[in-house]
Amino acid sequence: MPTFKLNGQDLEYQPGDTIIRAAWRAGIEIPHYCWHPGLSVVASCRMCLVEVKSGRPMMLPIMQWDAKKNEYVDATKVKLVPACQQAVTDGLEVSSQSEPAKAAHATVQEFLLLNHPVDCPICDQAGECKLQDYWLAHQTKLKRKQTEPVHKSKAVRFGPTIVYDGERCVMCTRCIRFNDEVAKDPVLDMRERGNVNEICLSPGRELDHKYTLMSEHVCPVGALTSRDFRFKARVWFLKAAPSVCSGCATGCNMFIDFEPRAQEVQRLRPRDNEAVNKYWMCDDGMMSYRRFHEGRVTAGRVRATGGLVDVTPSAALTEAAALLAAAKKAGKKVGVVFSAQHSSEDNHVLAKFARDVLGASSVYLAAQGGWDGDAILRDADNNPNRAGATAVAAQHGFASLGTTAKLLADVASGSVGAVLALGWASQESAAELAALSKVPVISLASNEGALPSIASVLVPVATHAETNGTFTNRHGLAQQFKRAIHAPDGIKSAWETLAELARALGATIDFGKLEDVRRALPASTPTAQPAATA
Amino acid sequence: MSTIDTTCLLTDRYALADSFTYAVAEKAGAYATARKVLTGMQPDAIKAEVKAANIRGRGGAGFPAGVKWGFLPPPDPNKPVYLVINADEGEPGTFKDRTIMEKDPHRLLEGCIIAMRAIGAHTTYIYVRGELVTSIKRLEQGIRDLRAKGVLGKRPFGIDHAMDIHVHPGGGAYICGEETSLLNSLEGYRGEPRLKPPFPAVSGAFGMPTIVNNVETIASVPDILKLGGAAWSALSRLPNDGGTRLYGVSGHVKNPHVFEGPVGLTLREMIDLCGGMLDASRPLKGVIPGGSSTPVLRPDDLVHAPDAAHPLHAWHGKSHLDVPMGVDTMRNLGTMLGTCCAIVMDSSVNMVEAARNLMRFYHHESCGQCTPCREGTGWLAEICDRIADGHATEADVELLVDVSNNMMGNTICALADGTAMPMLAFVRKFRGEFLAAAREGGVKNGRLDQAVVPLLGGRAA
Repeated sequence: MPTFKLNGQDLEYQPGDTIIRAAWRAGIEIPHYCWHPGLSVVASCRMCLVEVKSGRPMMLPIMQWDAKKNEYVDATKVKLVPACQQAVTDGLEVSSQSEPAKAAHATVQEFLLLNHPVDCPICDQAGECKLQDYWLAHQTKLKRKQTEPVHKSKAVRFGPTIVYDGERCVMCTRCIRFNDEVAKDPVLDMRERGNVNEICLSPGRELDHKYTLMSEHVCPVGALTSRDFRFKARVWFLKAAPSVCSGCATGCNMFIDFEPRAQEVQRLRPRDNEAVNKYWMCDDGMMSYRRFHEGRVTAGRVRATGGLVDVTPSAALTEAAALLAAAKKAGKKVGVVFSAQHSSEDNHVLAKFARDVLGASSVYLAAQGGWDGDAILRDADNNPNRAGATAVAAQHGFASLGTTAKLLADVASGSVGAVLALGWASQESAAELAALSKVPVISLASNEGALPSIASVLVPVATHAETNGTFTNRHGLAQQFKRAIHAPDGIKSAWETLAELARALGATIDFGKLEDVRRALPASTPTAQPAATA
Repeated sequence: MSTIDTTCLLTDRYALADSFTYAVAEKAGAYATARKVLTGMQPDAIKAEVKAANIRGRGGAGFPAGVKWGFLPPPDPNKPVYLVINADEGEPGTFKDRTIMEKDPHRLLEGCIIAMRAIGAHTTYIYVRGELVTSIKRLEQGIRDLRAKGVLGKRPFGIDHAMDIHVHPGGGAYICGEETSLLNSLEGYRGEPRLKPPFPAVSGAFGMPTIVNNVETIASVPDILKLGGAAWSALSRLPNDGGTRLYGVSGHVKNPHVFEGPVGLTLREMIDLCGGMLDASRPLKGVIPGGSSTPVLRPDDLVHAPDAAHPLHAWHGKSHLDVPMGVDTMRNLGTMLGTCCAIVMDSSVNMVEAARNLMRFYHHESCGQCTPCREGTGWLAEICDRIADGHATEADVELLVDVSNNMMGNTICALADGTAMPMLAFVRKFRGEFLAAAREGGVKNGRLDQAVVPLLGGRAA
């Protein structure tokens, strides 16, 4: 590969790379606001100015005070180029740390903060704001303008998800370009000019498509904030776990940002993966974090005379074992329901349990019924692991999995006399599944749903934020995710719960550790996991 | 001094009654050259004459028009070439192109026809500043007449080269005089300068090869072809800067107006041609030579070029006002020829107020795309306001210099440079006035009409 020199260091580049992209690829940051690897280049923030070594540098006339002569004298400064605009050529020598480049970064930073309200204490971007980071890295001087800043629109509702603060805006136009170029909905634009310009909505429109939260994520400052996240947490108190979205079969890479003290997930945000989701996520995906806390099953549940009774998870497990033992003893066939919402690890142990412990032959897959997909990210299948669940079932000889409709028919015909179901998700409503409850139904679920609601015994299991696991996406790419928060006391991942259930039935499932399960998974190419820091 | 030869070529029809009508213009010789050129010359020969004419672009940057035409890529049937006329005359102090469009629109239209033939274009867009209502009306009438006569149409003068011209009124934004902003505006986008490269000659209007020329540049083309490039070039007093051009003078002279003269008149000659200073008791204090973005000159500043190799050596020891006005001479003098429309200021002008007025303009007109310009123009205006109003300290004068230095060269287009350069010149040449205003609680004898302050809507406050 051809190389060029950045700050004295030889870097490889790909043909067509700009300086900033080649540096970005090598993990070197040239300060920037308007540039984004997934958006077009506008070169307007002027923060990425760098010095390109040249035999005959272009010099610009400036003026200096000469105290000896007691008059102004001509001076020059070298012409800098934006690293986001300048294409790399073989052997190019670039400096982003030369004195002229450093001076330019400091002055652009000063200009950007000139009319900024500096309301960091009440700004949600604080802690992950480029204005803060770059002030510290490139300016570190006090403000020289002491007069009233320019005032602009504040707290403008852009739509159901986003609020705009014009005074914090640096006019990088990333949000405009994201909506134009990626979401393909040119709903944002700029109005006015000079230092009174601001971002505005198209007349009669709101920012209301399926990728609105990305506008907040591409915003390098606190101008666009998420109505869901604002005023909820200070980001420096949050920790991030690399994970994979469970919203649909695309498997967008994401970070789970959680509050470690409260063990509470606060938001999801995209994690770059050129091969899967590039730099983006959809709104429904980002909002799916709510499932980690809303409608959560935190206690066991047993059907008794007079209704359902909450019990401890271990008591629910004992009851589940008793029901399965009774069914086995009575010679009833147990129908086993896999989950397109659960990890391959969970489904793998369920498959092993079904084959080795229950000797089951009636197997099904519970999945959500789909949503509107698009050509950007969203897959029409709103289940993260249909492919993975199907693959591990096949590995255990279950070549095809029936639908939940088939399960209903099998229960009605009496060919299935008990049900062991993983997951909360199903295509059918609780009313439609009610007919299942004529037989004992054991549900292992993290959240409320149709299946748990009709269960004879409900054993709580961990959500995907509470476990390590693997989802296989629509293209067959197996992607591992890491645990963010701990499951509530007594609750374990579904595969651990199933292993315990096996032990309660006097059988052994020989997986002590996650790695044991992973080794047993079908051969695939899991994506490498980046460091767990954001 | 009225003996100066002010050759009338470009303006020879200005004095005729109804000179803007097709009938009058045609009777006085319009389109004779176009007919001769279109029926008798090949495009390359036309281009060669324009190149030989050494005509420097009249819009302000002074780029040789013949060279610019040479930047077009080789003809490609899938890539139509466009000619775009920059008639967005918005530079403060500049009012020359308007006279062409109002008094002799057919000279511009004839120039367009010849230029389209030369560069292989079939369509011209004339982007006219929206406020120039009469210009727009007369150009549109002229185009209608030409279409009726078949001069614009499928076969102008019987040759196989279809031509049409469209007038596009602008919205009155200064930035749309920058050629790529103009193209954005023409295409219906926000008037913001585009990144270069690609330059318009390669990818301009609608992504096609485009030549953008100033009104006066194209209006000179018929005369260049009529006289021949070399002969036209020789009308100038300067080398590499040919022909005659329009000079405009505004400010404190007896008869501010636009007139034609050979390239290379001096500022002093220009003032004399306008009847001299308005009031003999108020001597000349400073001249902005070519539109507000060009650094101000002082009559008492002398050329210092003792070195014989210095391009200005011939004027060593003379006043800046005695250096001939040319693209290169003015650049060597540390200013710019710009549009060659001078603003003359006498001793009644307070330079702090003059600077404040200009800075307010640039603040209002910055497109807001690049950070240094968006914030810098506003900051300069704010500091000038404080100095003029007496809320500043002497350190603020140095701040003007520092902010200007920081704006210079760091933006996509030249608006920031065009703000910083005059600002630096004002401080450099009239530092005493700025310090005095800062020290003494503001401008005491300013002439800026305070009535305009509320009109600025608190932008500069």
